[in-house]
Amino acid sequence: MLTFRKILFNLMAWSIVLAVAFPLFWMLVTSVKPGFELFRRPPTILPETWTFEHYWKLLSETNFLIYFRNSIILSSATTLVVVAVATLGAFSLVRFKYRGRESLAFLVLFTYLLPSVVLIIPLYLLLVGLGVSNTIFSLVIAYTTFALPYALWLLRSFMAGIPEDLESAALCDGATRMGAFRDVILPQLLPGIISTALFTFILSWNEYLYALVLVNSDSSRPLTTGVMNMLISSFNIEWSLLMAASVMMSVPLIIVFAFLQSYLTRGFGAGGVKG
Amino acid sequence: MSRQKTLLERRYAALGLTLIAPTVLIFSAVIVYPLFSAIYLSFYNVFTPTLEGEWVGLSNYAELLQSGKFWNALKNTLIWTIGSLSLQLIFGIGMALVLHQNIWFRSLARSLILFPYFISTVVAVLVWKWLFNDLYGILNHLLMKVGIIDFPMDFLGTMPNAMISVIMVGAWKYFPFVVIAVLARLQSIPDALYEAAKIDGAGPIARFFDITLPQLRDVLVVIVMLRAIWDFKEFDLIFLLTGGGPLNDTQTLPLLVYQEAFALNDMGMASAYAVVMMLIMLVFMIVYIRRTKDDEGS
Repeated sequence: MLTFRKILFNLMAWSIVLAVAFPLFWMLVTSVKPGFELFRRPPTILPETWTFEHYWKLLSETNFLIYFRNSIILSSATTLVVVAVATLGAFSLVRFKYRGRESLAFLVLFTYLLPSVVLIIPLYLLLVGLGVSNTIFSLVIAYTTFALPYALWLLRSFMAGIPEDLESAALCDGATRMGAFRDVILPQLLPGIISTALFTFILSWNEYLYALVLVNSDSSRPLTTGVMNMLISSFNIEWSLLMAASVMMSVPLIIVFAFLQSYLTRGFGAGGVKG
Repeated sequence: MSRQKTLLERRYAALGLTLIAPTVLIFSAVIVYPLFSAIYLSFYNVFTPTLEGEWVGLSNYAELLQSGKFWNALKNTLIWTIGSLSLQLIFGIGMALVLHQNIWFRSLARSLILFPYFISTVVAVLVWKWLFNDLYGILNHLLMKVGIIDFPMDFLGTMPNAMISVIMVGAWKYFPFVVIAVLARLQSIPDALYEAAKIDGAGPIARFFDITLPQLRDVLVVIVMLRAIWDFKEFDLIFLLTGGGPLNDTQTLPLLVYQEAFALNDMGMASAYAVVMMLIMLVFMIVYIRRTKDDEGS
C-alpha cells in the first residue's frame, strides 16, 4: 500500500516536472525535424526523420557564428572586469572600516535593484557622446551597470562567510593585509568567486535591452538581438532554424549547468535569498 | 601604544579606500551620473535623432499624469506583476514541497525545473511563440484534441489572451527562483519539529500550516519583495512576446519608456516616465533594503 502511494506520488511529481520541461524538449525536437514534418497534422512527438540540416544552415548561411563570437567576447570581458573589481571591492566593504562604508553598501544594494530603463537613456547619450556606440566595448560598459552591483552583492555575502580569525592569524604571523588577502582569503573565497563569475557570465549572455538599444550593426551584435533579428527580418519564419539557434544559444548554459551545478546552487543561496 | 594603533588603523582605512576606489569610479561613471542625468533630462524636451533639447520644467510630469498612456501602463504593470508573482509563488512553493520529498532522480528533476530560469528570455520567447503558433503550434493542437476549443486560438494577438499568455510564460520562466529559495529553507527546518507534531497527532495538512508555513515566512517575504521588484521592471519578456500589443493592452511601464525614447523619439518624456517608475519601485526597494539591514543587525 505504502509503495503504491509512493509510486503514484513519483508519477505525479515527474509528470509535473516533464510538463515544465516540455517547451525545452519541444525546442530540441523541432530543431532536428525536417521542414516538411513540421507541418504534419497531428504533429509527430519524436521526429520520424532526424536531420541536422538546420544546424548546418545556421552555421553556414547566417551570421550566427559572428553573433556567437561577439557574445563570448562580450560576456567574458564583462565577467573578467566585474569579478576582478568586485572581489577587491567586497574585501574592502567587509573587512575594512572607513567613513562612508555603510552608505556604499546601501548604494550597491540600491543599484542592484535599479531598473535598466532608468539608466539606458543617459547611458545611450553618454556612449554616443564618447563615440563608442555600436561596439562590443560599449556593451561591456553598459553591462557593468547591472553586473557590478550584482557581483559585489554576491561576493560580499561570500566574503562575510569567511571567518575573520583566519585573517587575524595571518596578520599575527606578520603578513600584510594584502598578503593575507592573497594567501588566506582568496583560496577560501574561490568557490564564491567561481559561482559569481558563472552567474555574471549567464546574466551577460542573456541580456537583451542594452544590446537592442546600443548596437545595430551585425558585426558587433550579440546573440540575443542577433537571433531575434533573424525572426523579425525573415519573410518566411523558419521555426526549425530558430529552434536550432535557440539550442545552440543555450549550449554554454547547459555546459555550465552540467559541470558546475553545485557552484550555481551555492551562489543562488548566497545572493538571491540571504541578501 | 594607542597612537601607533590609530596609525595602523588609519593605514588600513587608506588601504580599504584604495581597494574600493575602482568600484566607486565605475559606479560614479556608469550608474550615479546616468541616474542624476535621467532626472535632469526629465525636465527637458529632447528630440532623439538630433539630441537637441529645451528646458520645459515640470511640464513632462504634468503631461504624464494627465495622459491615459501612463495610467494604462501602470495598470498593466500591476496586473502583470501581481498575476505572475502569485502564480510563481503557488507553483514555486508547491514544486519545492514536491522536490523536498525523496522522488526518483531528484537532482535530475531539480535541474529540469531550474532550466527555464537560466535560459535567455530570447530563447524562452522563441520557444513559446512556436508553441503558441496559430497554425502549427502544439498548444492549439492539444487544446483542440482535448476538445477545450474548436478553432485555433490567438494566444498573443487578442485580449485578454495576450495578458494571460504573458503572465503564464512569466510564471514558467521565473517560478524556479521561488523553488530554489524555498527548497533551501525547507532543508534547514529541523526534523524534530515534525516528529513532535506527529506524536501530538497532527496530520500532513496541519503540519504544513503549523510548522512549514511559519518557518517559511521570513524567506517568503524576501522572495516576494525581490520578485515584485524584478517583475515590475521586466522588459525583455513582455517586449519580445507581444511588444505591448494588441493596441497597448500589455504595455507596461518599462515598455512605455522604451517606446517614448526610441520609437516616439522624446527622451525627455521617456525619462519622466522612468523617474516616476523608479519612485513607485522605491517603496518596495526601501522595504527590502530595511529588511536586509535588520537581518544583518541581528
